[in-house]
Amino acid sequence: MLKFIIKKLLMMIPMLLLISFIVYFGLQMTGIDPINFMVSPEMLSANKENVEALRESLGLNDPLIIQYFRWLGNCLRGDLGYSFDGSSIASIIKVRLPYTFELAGYSLVLSAIIGIGIGIISAVRQNGVIDYVGRVLAVLGQAVPQFLVGIILIQIFSIKLGWFPSANRVSPDATNAFVDAFVHLFLPVLTLTIGMVAVLMRYARNTMLDVLNSDYIKTARSKGIPEWKVYLKHGFRNAMKPVLVILVFRIPMLVGGSVVIESVFSYPGIGLTMTNAIVSGDYPIVLVTTLIIAAAMLICSFMVDVFNALLDPRVRLGE
Amino acid sequence: MKKLLALVLATTLTAASLAGCGGGASNDAPAAATEASGGGTAAAAPAAADGSLQLAVTTGDGSTSDDRIPTPWYNRILATNLMFRGLFLADSTLTEVEPDLAETYEVSDDGLVYTITLKDGLKWSDGEAITVDDVQWSIETALEAAQINSIYTAAFKAIDSIATDGNTITLTLAEPYAAMLDVLAQFAILPKHSLENADPLKLESDPFWTAPVTSGMYALDELNVGNYFTLKVNENYEGQAPKIEKVTCYFVSDYVTAAQAGNTDYVYGNAADLVEALQGMDNFSAHEVDVLFYKYFIFNMKGIDGNENPAMQNVEVRKAIIEAIDRATLATLYPTANVLNSGVPNSDEAYNGFEYTFDAEKAKADIAASGYDMSRTLKICYYNNDQTSIDLINTVVYYLQQIGLTVEATLSNDGTTDLFTTRDYDIGFKGKSSFSIDEWYTEYMSTDGLFANIFGGDTSFDALVADLSKAVDKEDRNAVLTELQALEQEKVYKVPVFTVGTYVFTSNRVNIPEGVEFCNPLYMCDLDFENWELAQ
Repeated sequence: MLKFIIKKLLMMIPMLLLISFIVYFGLQMTGIDPINFMVSPEMLSANKENVEALRESLGLNDPLIIQYFRWLGNCLRGDLGYSFDGSSIASIIKVRLPYTFELAGYSLVLSAIIGIGIGIISAVRQNGVIDYVGRVLAVLGQAVPQFLVGIILIQIFSIKLGWFPSANRVSPDATNAFVDAFVHLFLPVLTLTIGMVAVLMRYARNTMLDVLNSDYIKTARSKGIPEWKVYLKHGFRNAMKPVLVILVFRIPMLVGGSVVIESVFSYPGIGLTMTNAIVSGDYPIVLVTTLIIAAAMLICSFMVDVFNALLDPRVRLGE
Repeated sequence: MKKLLALVLATTLTAASLAGCGGGASNDAPAAATEASGGGTAAAAPAAADGSLQLAVTTGDGSTSDDRIPTPWYNRILATNLMFRGLFLADSTLTEVEPDLAETYEVSDDGLVYTITLKDGLKWSDGEAITVDDVQWSIETALEAAQINSIYTAAFKAIDSIATDGNTITLTLAEPYAAMLDVLAQFAILPKHSLENADPLKLESDPFWTAPVTSGMYALDELNVGNYFTLKVNENYEGQAPKIEKVTCYFVSDYVTAAQAGNTDYVYGNAADLVEALQGMDNFSAHEVDVLFYKYFIFNMKGIDGNENPAMQNVEVRKAIIEAIDRATLATLYPTANVLNSGVPNSDEAYNGFEYTFDAEKAKADIAASGYDMSRTLKICYYNNDQTSIDLINTVVYYLQQIGLTVEATLSNDGTTDLFTTRDYDIGFKGKSSFSIDEWYTEYMSTDGLFANIFGGDTSFDALVADLSKAVDKEDRNAVLTELQALEQEKVYKVPVFTVGTYVFTSNRVNIPEGVEFCNPLYMCDLDFENWELAQ
């Protein structure tokens, strides 16, 4: 098992290096000059010397490959560097990443509870009211883009009803941190949850239906085991293995999905930071945030492999 | 299972109920903003229960970071105007000034020596004295800064020497600079004692901006990265204390949503969708501001590297292209736009009366007569990705197709690079928010870092533009402007389409004193802010 884990972990390193390389040169190939976003066109017209000095001080005159390896070397030494507007990227990540994890974490928990719950009920009460309503909602939840859901929620709950703020994570002079967090997180969490519930609900329903039609369930029923025990002990436990895999695989999608949602809600997480960095051509931030999302994806993939190995004895480790 | 379902539903309902009551300090809507009336819409306005004026600072365009206070040396937005002052304070025209940090001032008859005496007892928000050293350091540092409004560098380059004596600073110019006082009225003096060790090239990213020392009527109270910053009354401000004791500035992605959700009492802009949305809100009042925001075409002629665009060398081709475009119709795409025919607005007394007329038939004949290769594709490059700009360009493409041209319009992600470095286009469309007419003409200078790359470093404007900056007397200035207009209409390197009027919107939570006139919201003027009040 240890050998398997070490092997999987080591494989992440070249993957991350490759991703960083592709992202770095991909960004450069866009032809966007970050100086044009840092300095106004009027300033570029009027003060060429200072602008050139700024370009030099940022290392933008060096060949791309040198810029890349300088950046990589600093990262390996634990120095994530500075954004083009002078902020320490480490401090940006330190402040923003917890916000994103908070948003993704609540969405994951909520969507797991609601999605799996309704999925199981739909399977148990197949072709019942909850099943039909759940299936329609699942299609809707998957079909409507998340940003649109976010905008609709803002229109209803922030603008029309005034129940929740439309932006930010913290209010000035908030007297109760819990309430403040709740009102700021409610809409973005709900937005992310709606999309994810739809996926989990459909998946949980289908796997539960498969399991309930299995021979061992029929055997359990024929033994006279109470129906709730059949569902929970025999059905639920077995149906949840593939659902768990899907759930873990959704984590990086939540982090990635927050890029859009955080922009819609002006939520100051890593996603909004990444969006703003893309808009302003701030490559160092785009690189680091992309790598964080990529690392999250690889770690989750690794976790899925390990879970699979633990849950299913048929999966042979290290082979 | 029914119990489980009931539990889930109960949890959801409880959460919804809590959400409804859970606005806390930040979400109780003030009565003034929640009352809807008439046919428009009113924001629910959940914030500002604490009685603070609310402002929004947008980070959506990438120009402002949400982890610090915006610097006042780039754009002067209201939030920073409340914190930082200049030697002078302008009126809404930005051309009449009165002393602010200055007590008195004197300009020599030849316009070369400015003697300015500061008020006694001025203090920064940290209690340190505001001195002429701060003024001198600020001016000298501005010349070394990379991210700064070019009106400052253009003016301060004219300063030959700076001398200080007690509370008096003397600026001696190498040559007259007519707009020096106007520029000084915009220029925020910064504290030397806090910033003298900062790198001028990266001044805006100095940690100073997370806890700035201020000279205005407000000081920073709290900065919450990514969320907001709050201002409190500056105890060391020597002037009349403002009636509004607290200002909250939210970092937002979008002004309209912020206004609709009640997160801001003040919004400005000229985009059609923003103006339309805000005008539809009953709880906001619109204040139209006439600003020099030019929208204009530029022709890709020739780089200083000698690389020229053969298709645009014939001035008759350029004139025919402009003749084919109905600029008056294009102007209707914006809430307020005034067509103009040179850098001088038609309403200005210096306007020379020339008009680019729209005549598609004549344009068609003219371009055919010019020898232009009608089989080639005319390339248009633009970079504003708002819907109004896209509609405008689509309309321009239509007009040009009507005279038989094949046209291709490209939306650029990096307009500056594409317009002035890559240069794979014939006509560019761009915008420019100018402090004064002078800025429009400065672009023609052969030394201009950008435009020399498309106008080939043509020196024919240089002397006149230099004369314009020196022309203190109005008659002299108008005479120079008349010559400049004639020259630009002869060369047709760039053609203005219109100037776009800007709107300032204020919510009905704010009582603004009578007589206040708003100026270009990216600059600073006397808004009598100390007498602004929040509605009860």
